[in-house]
Amino acid sequence: MDNGREQNETFIVPIGPQHPALKEPGHFEFSVDGEIVQSATARLGYAHRGIEKATEERTWVQSQYILERVCGICSHIHAVAYCQGVETLAGVEISPKAMAIRALAAELERIHSHMLWLGVAAHEAGFDTLFMYTWRDRETVMDLLEGLSGNRVNYSVNLLGGVKFDVSPELKEAILKGVDFLEERNKHYLDVVTGDEAFLRRTRGIGVMSDEEAERLGAVGPTARASGVARDVRIQAPYAAYDIFPVELVIETDGDLLARFVVRIRELFESFRLIREIVNNLPEGDLTVRMPRKVKAGETVSRVEAPRGELFYFIRSTGQEMADRVKVRTPTLCNWGSVLTTVIGHQLADVPMILVGIDPCFSCNDRMIRLRSRDGDRSWTWEDLRRYGIEYYR
Amino acid sequence: MSTLVDLFTLLIFPGGLMLGIAALAYEWVNRKLVARLQNRIGPRWFQPAADFVKLLAKEEVLPEQVVAGLFYMLPIIAVAGVFTAALSVPMFGAQPASSYPGDLVVTLYLLGLPTMCLGLAGSNTLGRFSLVGATRALTQFFSYEAPFMMAMLGPALVAQSWSSTEIVAHAGGRWLLLSQPIGFVVAMIGLLGKLEMPPFDAPEAETEIVAGALTEYSGRGLALFHLAKDAELVIGLALIAALYLGGGSTWWMFLLKTLVLLLFLAGIETLVTRLRIEQTVGLWWRYVSMLVLVQWVVTIVWEGLLL
Repeated sequence: MDNGREQNETFIVPIGPQHPALKEPGHFEFSVDGEIVQSATARLGYAHRGIEKATEERTWVQSQYILERVCGICSHIHAVAYCQGVETLAGVEISPKAMAIRALAAELERIHSHMLWLGVAAHEAGFDTLFMYTWRDRETVMDLLEGLSGNRVNYSVNLLGGVKFDVSPELKEAILKGVDFLEERNKHYLDVVTGDEAFLRRTRGIGVMSDEEAERLGAVGPTARASGVARDVRIQAPYAAYDIFPVELVIETDGDLLARFVVRIRELFESFRLIREIVNNLPEGDLTVRMPRKVKAGETVSRVEAPRGELFYFIRSTGQEMADRVKVRTPTLCNWGSVLTTVIGHQLADVPMILVGIDPCFSCNDRMIRLRSRDGDRSWTWEDLRRYGIEYYR
Repeated sequence: MSTLVDLFTLLIFPGGLMLGIAALAYEWVNRKLVARLQNRIGPRWFQPAADFVKLLAKEEVLPEQVVAGLFYMLPIIAVAGVFTAALSVPMFGAQPASSYPGDLVVTLYLLGLPTMCLGLAGSNTLGRFSLVGATRALTQFFSYEAPFMMAMLGPALVAQSWSSTEIVAHAGGRWLLLSQPIGFVVAMIGLLGKLEMPPFDAPEAETEIVAGALTEYSGRGLALFHLAKDAELVIGLALIAALYLGGGSTWWMFLLKTLVLLLFLAGIETLVTRLRIEQTVGLWWRYVSMLVLVQWVVTIVWEGLLL
């Protein structure tokens, strides 16, 4: 571009691990021709924390607290997935009231997550006003979560065998009032997102993914639903209280960024409706039931619908006080394929928006994987790593 | 004696110190307005000055494989260009320091200098973000510059003069905004483009290319580039106020008119989404340049009928 050297090489624009568009570390390389993206690669793993391994050295109760910290935004849903799985293994049935409160917290969390995303996505498009406004209004739901649990994030509502917090009459009033306010605000944001001509030029027809493609790439959550794939664990395999308070599927068929905005905002309306229903018809019962200290041997799969899509837990017990194996698959990991495929052919300016369009959460999806190739196992022992480190810095 | 007066003009008022202070003050007003419109608190009044002083005191990192002379000189040239441009613009209610036939054209060219420097600064470094930023800055420069200049020359057509002082004198307090509304709007949007403010902030789109052409700049160079841009804001507002709003005959009229214009700019900044670079170019060449041509034709026909 500036000299002869550049002409024959591919011009690669690196994004991350440190970049203003990404609030978490991840590395992407986009080779561009002028402003058009030709190919994209991702490298993840900067925030690997060894949480799955850590659960194998903690008791069933302790593991819940560390698993809640897999994700800062959707901490509640991780605990739900884990508790559900462990309760299934232990053969414990929790009360309908505890189930309803789990669903209530999950919906409040979905509201906070989607509004956070809406702001971030607007910021990526350079529409900072919408960013500031959505985050201001999001404080309402943060206050409600604080009222329920005493915490704004990592609310830790769950316990093995139930929930910790009840909905008091004052909190019920506050929730109903807060939800009314948020519904009104989000109607306005839906108008802005679907009506602002300048914003539409950045979202309509950008990053289009057809339903076949979404199926092929294994997209989940709102990303898949924006492409017309009817996939929602709350409907397909109701957990917590979603069989008593059924969810209506929110789906869009365009598959572009605009559809992803619309799906998420319409999901908010569905969440508002659910929250009203749960708060007004909260079942009676105890908050907790007794859990055994040791969980019966066996294995189970627990699936829930996190704000970003299907969250998958595999839990195996050998009848001890600790889990033998906990495997977590977060929705972001399933959605990467869709990003790397849809950015090709788009402008560099659209890349951050497409990237953020799946609502990525980096530290959640960083897992260790073991590669088995034909030329032998390449996994290293601690001793190998140590030697490599010493050699590297020599 | 006359040397002393010249030095005073260059270094204290209206050039140099006064312009520098005004630049930082207007940056603060702009940031505060945008912040309040976005429901934020915004910076304190001395924030731009504090940033400037702090940046001056910081180490300036010279990236590898850049032409060092160019790297250090470009911010100085940018500031020098803008501050020179200020000399023939009526500001703060005072007559311009130097006035000669054709000074408007010279001023407009000098105001283009910071963008040219920005483009060169970006292409001087090997950083990916700087290169993309520089390409975008120059692409945008070539799209807004012609319509902006044509909009600024609209009043010159009426006054039959290329000197900003004479245009103000010709208007005699009448607001050309009323007879050339399209030209005024184009000039305002052009100023947004010139200053790389939203929606024309693609050259420094934070979420895509970090800080664009200035990514590799730190310390003094960065401070000077920021100062050049802030001074450009003041001069741009002063020019539009002079050409379209009858000029500021007193200092408070000048303040009032430029601040109202700034409010208008801050409003646009708040309301819009960033345009992609090809959308920017399309906007300028498809619509805005046509608009300003229409304004010219109307003005010429009107003048022809009158005379």
